[in-house]
Amino acid sequence: MSETDKNKVVIPIGPQHPSLDEPATFTITLEGEKVVNAVIGVGYNHRGLEKACESRTYIQDLYIIERVCGICSHAHSTAFCMAIEELTGVKVPMRAEYIRVIVAELERLHSHLLWLGTACHEIGYDTMFMYTWRDREKILDLMASYGGNRINYGVNTFGGVRREFDETTSSDIIKTIDELDEHLKRYMEIALTETTLVSRLKGVGMLSHEDALNFGAVGPVAKAAGIGYDIRVAEPYGAYKEIPVKLITDDRADVYGRTVVRILEMQESVKIIRYAIKNMPGGDIAVKVPRRIPAGEILTRVEAPRGENIHFVRSNGTDMPDRVRVKAPTEANWHGVQHMLKSGRLADVPITIAAIDPCYSCTDRAIVVNSGDNINVMDWKQLRQYSIDWYKKEGIDITALKL
Amino acid sequence: MDLIKKAIDWGTSKSPWILHFNAGACNGCDIEVVDSLTPRFDLERVGVLKHGTPRQADILVCTGAVTLQTRDRLIQIYDQMAEPKFVIAVGTCACTGGIFDGCYCVTGGIDTVIPVDVYLPGCAVRPEAIISAVEKLLSSLKDDKGGAK
Amino acid sequence: MSREEEIVKELCDRFPFLQDRIYVQKEKRIFTKELSKEEFEQVIAFVHDEMGFYRSHHVIGTDEGDNLGFLYIVSGSDNILLILREIAPKSNPVINSICKLYPSIVLHERELVDLFGAVVEGLPEGPSYPLPDNWPKGNYPMRKEWNPKYLNKDTMTYEPPQEKEAENE
Repeated sequence: MSETDKNKVVIPIGPQHPSLDEPATFTITLEGEKVVNAVIGVGYNHRGLEKACESRTYIQDLYIIERVCGICSHAHSTAFCMAIEELTGVKVPMRAEYIRVIVAELERLHSHLLWLGTACHEIGYDTMFMYTWRDREKILDLMASYGGNRINYGVNTFGGVRREFDETTSSDIIKTIDELDEHLKRYMEIALTETTLVSRLKGVGMLSHEDALNFGAVGPVAKAAGIGYDIRVAEPYGAYKEIPVKLITDDRADVYGRTVVRILEMQESVKIIRYAIKNMPGGDIAVKVPRRIPAGEILTRVEAPRGENIHFVRSNGTDMPDRVRVKAPTEANWHGVQHMLKSGRLADVPITIAAIDPCYSCTDRAIVVNSGDNINVMDWKQLRQYSIDWYKKEGIDITALKL
Repeated sequence: MDLIKKAIDWGTSKSPWILHFNAGACNGCDIEVVDSLTPRFDLERVGVLKHGTPRQADILVCTGAVTLQTRDRLIQIYDQMAEPKFVIAVGTCACTGGIFDGCYCVTGGIDTVIPVDVYLPGCAVRPEAIISAVEKLLSSLKDDKGGAK
Repeated sequence: MSREEEIVKELCDRFPFLQDRIYVQKEKRIFTKELSKEEFEQVIAFVHDEMGFYRSHHVIGTDEGDNLGFLYIVSGSDNILLILREIAPKSNPVINSICKLYPSIVLHERELVDLFGAVVEGLPEGPSYPLPDNWPKGNYPMRKEWNPKYLNKDTMTYEPPQEKEAENE
């Protein structure tokens, strides 16, 4: 061990991180307060879905694919359906495509609200957490009334959607998003002007434009670094070919930028839903797709709430796929996190990890602080508390904020 | 002895602290567990508090089919919890392995690893069901008059 | 001439061996047929350095019978996905890591090691992904001949039935 190494403290975080998409270990090396190195290890949620897909029929696979992630389930099933539809050469009715877009945007709204809440929770701003999750409930109610379930709504099927979209559903949706739009304005105002929040988020978890390109960041992380990469714009699919989508970017490249991007994206989603409901064509909602899928291979991508979502399907002409590969957006953003953590302080670790939206980051990741012979055991909650207290000492007290 | 048990049961039934553990779920049930603690459903109003460390928790709320990687950690967390402890398996995957049963990295339901007190099927489980499960578990500790058994 | 055809032409001019082995599948998708290790490395270095394919999306492993296939997906600012297919024999599946060109590919290359048994040379040291530490050595679950039924999850051993027993069944 060299002289400089003696001053360093290594902190392994993880691996269990409940509610996170992909539970991970973070081995963080500290020099005083500063993080000098971070190594990530993932794979704790590896279940072997892709192998399972190979021994089940396509329609069974649709339900497995939907359960890759409970939060962006619609994005995954859309990508898989698009692949099958392209392989069979089926043309999906436009009405179904519009319904898919509406559900996808509602999903984006609930996912971003979820993120906004948990990010605020990580920095100790629990008031906002409760407000955003209250708003989120209304979106889940819409999902339940249209799809029949709050999560994993199963709207998609090969060749279209499974439920007719009636007048009551659309008027309910309009009513809810009008309300939400008002709330979003308020959140935007807080995010932009509230000095306490701004000073807590600004300059944290920097990922510059070049680094974001280099590490292949996607979704809001890339958009906040000024990369206008959105599949809805870059390669419009389904009804996005007809619906105008404004590309949201920001050049702040930090957690603050990611917050702003997400709130603006929500406002954009509200506009898209309004447009889609207004311009939705009539007609069928689904066409029949044969059980046997012609041989071929196809690569589809959609914009999930967290970024680009790639599905690869190879068919060998039977009713079971030869190979299915799902690439979720978080998978692409993990590389960036490793880099983002490096320049920051220990107190910024929770919010930096939360900022890429690895879903919910909260309880019981056992953290062992190992300095020399002393071994301390800390959990995620304590780390979060540590970060809140650290900033309090710096004069930034989020808990005093009122909404 | 009987009195001590009575006192513990009485205490547990009033304000149980829950520990949430994702053993390999798709995140649907996890979000619903958190949902049940936020304003709409608000389990906290009946004294249920989500807690971070296993040592202080009374109820382990476990979601998802157990993957090979989390199997040992689930046992470890269960062992760290103090008696009396209860386990709620939330979601179809947690009950039987569900849609993931037979995958090469999945061992099956929670009960293949640790004993389970309440099975709660659903994909995803609704927060109302989670509240009902907690309520049923707590009422099993009480006698008819609402006191400890 | 569409942008896709231009890319195909540029690649064919530079690498004569790509003639008839690269095709535009549809809008924004260019696939190549199977390339050997040497051919693949020349092409990937060229598209990264000189054609502006700066983003790597993924590498997908496939089982091609006697060979393993690796589909590298890269794209540039015009969002056209170029899918390069490298193959290596199953008996000696050695490929070179391209993490020098595309740093974000590391995690996906590790996955090839664990799930397909590929030997990726030049991969930086780090934890394996995504299989557990006590996974039985020499078992690659995504290969077609591997059946999850025969994995004993208590002892963590792979126990395929003896051939005689299989006949009796």
